[in-house]
Amino acid sequence: MQDKQTNTDVILKVEHLSKVFSSKKAHIRAVNDVSFTVAQGETVGIVGESGCGKTTLGRCIVRAYNATEGRILYRAGDGTEYDLQNIDKKSMQKIRKEVQMIFQDPYSSLDPRMTVFDIISEPLRANFKDMPKEQIEQNVKEMAVKVGLNPSYLKRYPHAFSGGQRQRIGIARALVLYPRLIVCDEAVSALDVSVQAQVVNLLKDLQKEMNLTYLFISHDLSVVEHISDKVGVMYLGKMVEYAPSDMLFAKPFHPYSEALLSAVPIADPKVSMQRIPLTGEIPNPANAPSGCFFHTRCKYCKEICKTQEVAFVEKENSHFVACHLRDEVSLQGIPMEE
Amino acid sequence: MQPTHTNKRGEEMGMDEKPSVLSVENLEISIKLEEGLLMPVRGVNFKLYENETLGLVGESGCGKSLTCKSILSINEKRCNTTGTIAFTDKNDTTLNLLDLKFNSKEIRDIRGNRISMIFQEPMSAFSPLFTVGYQMVESVYLHITRNKKQAKDLVLSSLRKVGIADPEKRYTQYPHEFSGGMLQRALIAMALLCNPRILIADEPTTALDVTIQAQILELLKQLQKDYGMSILYITHDLGTVAQMCDRVAVMYLGRVVETATVQDIFQNPVHPYTQGLIGSVHKIGGAKERLFSIEGNVPLAMNLEDRCSFYDRCIRKDTKICCNKEPQLTQVGDEHFAACYQPEIKARGGSQSAG
Amino acid sequence: MNNEKEEKALEKKRLKQEKYYMASQWQLMGRKLVKHKMALISFFILGMLYAGAILAPFLAPKGLEDYSGSYSDAPPTKIHFFHEGEFMGPFVYRYKIERDLFENKIFTEDKAVPYKISFFVRGSTYKLLGFIQSDIHLFGVENVEEEGVKDQAQVLLFGADKLGRDLFSRIVIGSQVSLTVPLLGTMISFILAVIIGGISGYYGGFIDTVIQRIIEVLSSFPTLPLWMALSAAIPAGISVVNVFIFITIIMSLLSWPGLARTVRSKFLSLKKEDYVMAARLAGVSDAQIIRKHLVPGFMSYLIVSLTLGIPSMILGETSMSFLGLGMRAPATSWGVLLQECQGVSNIANCPWKLIPLIYVGLAVLAFNFLGDGLRDAADPYK
Repeated sequence: MQDKQTNTDVILKVEHLSKVFSSKKAHIRAVNDVSFTVAQGETVGIVGESGCGKTTLGRCIVRAYNATEGRILYRAGDGTEYDLQNIDKKSMQKIRKEVQMIFQDPYSSLDPRMTVFDIISEPLRANFKDMPKEQIEQNVKEMAVKVGLNPSYLKRYPHAFSGGQRQRIGIARALVLYPRLIVCDEAVSALDVSVQAQVVNLLKDLQKEMNLTYLFISHDLSVVEHISDKVGVMYLGKMVEYAPSDMLFAKPFHPYSEALLSAVPIADPKVSMQRIPLTGEIPNPANAPSGCFFHTRCKYCKEICKTQEVAFVEKENSHFVACHLRDEVSLQGIPMEE
Repeated sequence: MQPTHTNKRGEEMGMDEKPSVLSVENLEISIKLEEGLLMPVRGVNFKLYENETLGLVGESGCGKSLTCKSILSINEKRCNTTGTIAFTDKNDTTLNLLDLKFNSKEIRDIRGNRISMIFQEPMSAFSPLFTVGYQMVESVYLHITRNKKQAKDLVLSSLRKVGIADPEKRYTQYPHEFSGGMLQRALIAMALLCNPRILIADEPTTALDVTIQAQILELLKQLQKDYGMSILYITHDLGTVAQMCDRVAVMYLGRVVETATVQDIFQNPVHPYTQGLIGSVHKIGGAKERLFSIEGNVPLAMNLEDRCSFYDRCIRKDTKICCNKEPQLTQVGDEHFAACYQPEIKARGGSQSAG
Repeated sequence: MNNEKEEKALEKKRLKQEKYYMASQWQLMGRKLVKHKMALISFFILGMLYAGAILAPFLAPKGLEDYSGSYSDAPPTKIHFFHEGEFMGPFVYRYKIERDLFENKIFTEDKAVPYKISFFVRGSTYKLLGFIQSDIHLFGVENVEEEGVKDQAQVLLFGADKLGRDLFSRIVIGSQVSLTVPLLGTMISFILAVIIGGISGYYGGFIDTVIQRIIEVLSSFPTLPLWMALSAAIPAGISVVNVFIFITIIMSLLSWPGLARTVRSKFLSLKKEDYVMAARLAGVSDAQIIRKHLVPGFMSYLIVSLTLGIPSMILGETSMSFLGLGMRAPATSWGVLLQECQGVSNIANCPWKLIPLIYVGLAVLAFNFLGDGLRDAADPYK
């Protein structure tokens, strides 16, 4: 498979993915018919507010959750394509080494009862049972240095480290198997601003060095704009827009994206944004609105939006959008610096 | 000509004659621990003026939350607080809030009445056992009137002012029936019931979605105009600072290291920590340069030596000057103060003020 | 000079910090526990009680089988040091028995003949720890051949029971049962609880539902009637050791449900932690996850539950034996000893027979305080 825009190999293709959580009382479509493509070596940001399903999407891709419908086509390092939804156990074991995750909370993502060395070496010991001790030690030390940790601290326990350092440990653990695709689930959201900068720089450096592909899930649009090549905007389980980062931020095609972008506080007192007000609240996902999910809060809403469901189509040049009025409205993006 | 200051509403005020509503001087908070004396606040100085929003910016461990809680004396008992917090009310009487005894009638008169506070998690600020109306009206009974009908009317009008539709219904609802954004509005309504002079907002939008955050910030700005109050806005999010605040005080390791107008903080930061902080944040729509990252970590505020607290992480440090004594806040420009021996003051275009 | 001092202080601080960084969960817990005074004292008291139980036959002047007609219901013997003005070392007198108007016995000391108390005397034989045969006791009245008297003179630290048996010896020997049955029973419960609760919590779903219903049914049985029924089912005439084993098993079968619930709830909460998901994504097998991540995670809580559960087992065994449902002659436990305290006249005339209560109370309190200390120390990451 080849990606049209970047002309590089596609590493991940999500097709009509849905995840439904059902209980006796309600059916919640946490992820609702999502489709997008990720090219190798790029960073795709997934943004949205609470309840949009971005975290569930990430977990479905790493197969922590079992999706209800759809396909997750993954291209492994040796070129074979697998559908992660429909895969045998042995192949899944192989894929596990290539698809990893970095978690949000630096305090609950590390087992407080294991030394840092054990935490980072655990994936090695689980997948390479015959690896000699010295080689494990060497691999762990190398990885620690790569993420900026002092190797002499490896015998310490997690409680000896700050939030930023713990996140580095989590990154080292995710990378020690030299994976190809990493899902970063709000990887920097729980960190202080200056520490966020450290970790973001680290992630970018590692991406270049190890030829990684990132799926960067976040609610912080500034960080996403900084780090992403492509961005997907999610609302109530659906992906409403997917485009190259500059195009989406400069000129979005979906009213929700427009509202979202206008709400981001810009770290510059000279700029005052024309805020597009969003009326109402995010609807209950168990009771989603008819037609286009967003019509209850959309200021451009027309009759067709209330009744007919919207398809996710390519409007131009790898810019996908799910809006009935995509050819009619002209939306405002973020004023870009030259 | 005296230097003047123009706040966001375009009003001009003279520097020296500006009435300060809150003046914090040399605030120090120490906690005795087994391992030693922890000093999370080691000398905080700032002034809050009428009708303005002062942003108190800092990362975790800088002491901003403790500072604000000490204004209303709601810190834990084991916190030993010294210094002066001078509060000037509308009738021009000034009193030192730290002189008031813990939980005395005087401090309780001020809480919720003259100085109000709103918090990060609106869900924890309301008790799940009582209706929102009941909790709000409690505040009115305490400070304004015991007349049930009048109190209820006050609460309803307050709810309306913060943009909650159908306040009659909301009055009888429980906190779990509100969404996050609604509840934060209700919290703001509760804080403003008694028309306070100062509103302390401790990270009020951190737990909210971006679109809701924008609504709440707009609301706060509008309410400030309507009520004529001052807002002390605590946050670590520089984006909201740029949109909300008139002036900013940056805190690091228990001290204020720089104060300036919001324009100056973003355009001409002089303290290396402020510069690092501003450089760490990617401005949305801006050029995609590599983010500046401050090396190292925030040290523990215990047994610190008497030298610049930022010394170990500073890229501009002078080994002869900067490690001798902790620098104090000195004026480096028009309304611009910094605690640094090597402030990087850029030459400004435009009119210089006569000193 | 000052610089050196400062450097030394800094170095000391650094080492202390380093120790904290390198400390595992158990080390941190141990350090915190040591600071808890009551827990430490309790730990020593329990240590002494258990050491006493191990060395019981040696510490007790008399064996289980020794009885004496002349000392029936005798009060504690006073230990004297001076006989007719001369210093003799510790010794006791015999009792002269008279009866009063109500046929009650009155014991007065016969100050004619002193009977010396020596250390390391020879007495009845016993097997220490089950295999070391000996007949030396720590202290006692020396064997002296006397004419006209059938019974040996005895030193009765805590008085005697109806059959003239030394209460102190019986308390010490009884502690073997009273302290080990709860401990062993708890350990068996522990193993059962970890396995059953663990399966229930880890796999969830149908298995979890079934196991939880079983636990609920077991917990809803009233304990005393259940004990009585199970104890009546123990066949008569079997050896002491077997009775002991049966009692232990009965006690543990009734207490594992509570522990299993604790294990299950801890499993459920730990399962959701991010690091468990990270381990699964890394390809770690289920068994390994349970072993390396989940079990260490709840160990500290489990130990606290255990320690706080032992007192109820002590009280349970004591109650059972008190009611005659537990240990049978010739074995003894504190509960059996308390059987003679049924009846007000008994207690009024021979109040020393209540002394086993003090031991029960001491053991229960000590375990409770130790458990408190463990619980306070158990979350070292606060």
